Order: sequence, then structure tokens, then C-alpha cells
Amino acid sequence: MRNRSIRNRGKRKKKEVMDIDITSLLDILVILLVFLLKSYNSSGQVITVPKGVDLPISESQSISSSGTIVQVSPSSIWVDDKEVLIHKGASISKYSDRGNRIIPLLTVLRQKKAEIEKISKQAPKAKEFTGKLNLLVDKSIKYSFLQRIMHTSASAGFSQFKFVVLGTDN
Amino acid sequence: MYKAPSRRKNRSRPAFTKPNLIPILDAVFIFIFFLLMSASFVKIYEIPSDVPILSSSPPSKKKPLALTLSISNSGVNVLTGVPSKSVKFISKNNEGEYDNEALHRYLIDLKKRYKSERGVIIEPQVDLVYDKLVKIMDAARILRQTDEAIYGRSKEGIQERISVLFDQMIFSNISSIVRTQAK
Repeated sequence: MRNRSIRNRGKRKKKEVMDIDITSLLDILVILLVFLLKSYNSSGQVITVPKGVDLPISESQSISSSGTIVQVSPSSIWVDDKEVLIHKGASISKYSDRGNRIIPLLTVLRQKKAEIEKISKQAPKAKEFTGKLNLLVDKSIKYSFLQRIMHTSASAGFSQFKFVVLGTDN
Repeated sequence: MYKAPSRRKNRSRPAFTKPNLIPILDAVFIFIFFLLMSASFVKIYEIPSDVPILSSSPPSKKKPLALTLSISNSGVNVLTGVPSKSVKFISKNNEGEYDNEALHRYLIDLKKRYKSERGVIIEPQVDLVYDKLVKIMDAARILRQTDEAIYGRSKEGIQERISVLFDQMIFSNISSIVRTQAK
């Protein structure tokens, strides 16, 4: 009720404290947090699936680990998101060892290995070369081509293949 | 200038109206809900496989299982031992697909007999599609929660449930052998 006494006339009223109901806002944040935690990937590895690469679905539960990434689509090959070969219609000069080795891939992978080894020598805390290779292969790729990729990678010094797949809950 | 109290201007401030945020927040909530529902959170996993290594270390005295899955056009041939001998042939099902369930069941039986064995050699004899290869690898690797429980002993001698079948995979015919010295 307004104070109408003469004593209080002319006195400025104190500002009221703004009171905003944030309950619903907190509801949203909690739901958002739950969804984000559910989709959180603890491996820390950022994997880009290029256009044209449709990964197979697997029941595997092993979380992907860090390493050099080779992406293979029905038409191209990338190493760490950089295109190294358009293999669809590629000339025979791109292959060696009776067609088993893919020369551009071999060259890039050898460079990658040399880079990692150089960094690990210069910086003592840097990761050493482990020979891990993450293979993101399109599900329609035939084994004969996969065999060439594995053969080329092994020739470049990569001895641990990690076939990257999608989980069944996707 | 003097003004009579009745003529004094009574400066009344406009009363503070609390903004009603509830409908806006409701709309935002629905918006976020739809966005999250339409977003695809892709879960990525891996299937590890090593390059065959030629070791100069002496072979162990224990007779190895040397499990090999030879994939042909008509089915999967399960071979064991050195030299390898066929122990089971799992032909394709009526739909013309590889019978991965039958293979999985057989490998569970094999795992019961060789609890400590984890290695398997994959030997595709046919130019099969990568997707089918992954399914065969899954059948050989994973022991599902719904499968029959197999118990083994850990290195410390404690009895524990085995969680994998034959998960250490090697492709035999990638025509590359890395030579290494025994440690």
C-alpha cells in the first residue's frame, strides 16, 4: 500500500530487484547437458568422414584411437583429409609391385611416418610413431582393393590397422 | 514558487512489470528438442588388425590353435592347427549370405575349449565386399551379452567371465610381411 504520510512525500522509492524465473531455462540446460554427455566421445580423436564414404556398421565397442587417417571412397583416397589419389580410372603408372602398391599413397604415408619420427626426436614429449593407421573405408569397397591399401600401408611402415566402423546404435 | 499540496505533481513512476519469459522458454525448449532429435550423433568404433610379423623367437611348446577363417564363394571354412586342417565348413544360408550366426556359434564352442586363445587369421579367397567382411569379423570377435557365458582364469588365477572371442585379427594374404627380431 502506498505510503501517503506527509513525512514520506517526495522520497524516491527504492528500485525493486528484478526477479526472473529461470526454472524452465535450467530444465533446458539439463536436457541439453544429458544429450551432450550421451554423445561425448572420450577418445579425443577427430575423424572426418568425407563425402562418398559410407562406413559399415559393426558390433564393435572398441573406441577409436589416434593415428594417421586414410579415407577410401569408391573413387578417391585421402590421407588426413588431403586427397592423394583419384583411383577411379587411375593409370597403371600409379601402381607398382604387380599392381599391389599404390605409389601416391605410399609416398604420402612415408612422408607422414618421417614427419612423426622427426617431431618425436625434436620434442621429447611428442608422441612416438606407433604405426597406427585408421582406415575409413567405404562399405562397398572390394577386398582386393582393401588388400592393396593394407599392403601399401604396411610397406610404408604402418603395422597396426584400425578399421573405423559405425556403432550399431547409430 | 509555492504550490498548494493539492496541486503538486505527483510523479508516479511506471510500475515495473516482470517480463513473462515462460512462453519464450517453452518455444526454445521445443526448438532444442527438435534439433537434438534431428541431429545424428555418430558413434565411431574400431576393429583392430595387425600386419603379420615374422618372428625369430622360438615357438612355444604349447600346441597353438592357429585358427584360420578361409572365406570362399560358397562359405567359410574353419581351419585349425599347424599345418592347418579343416574342422568345419559353414556354407552360405538359403538367402545366399554368409551364415555368420552359425559361424559365431561354432566359434563359441571352440572358445570353450581354447579359452586363452585370442588370435584368428582371416583369409578371404574371394573378392568380397568390405561390409560382408566386417560382419564376418564381428562374428569372430565379439562375445555378446546374450551369448552363453564362458569363464576362464585371469593371470592372477581369479575366475572371470571372458568378454571376447577371437579378437586379435590378422589378414594372411596382404602380401606384406614385416620382419622383426625377437626381443
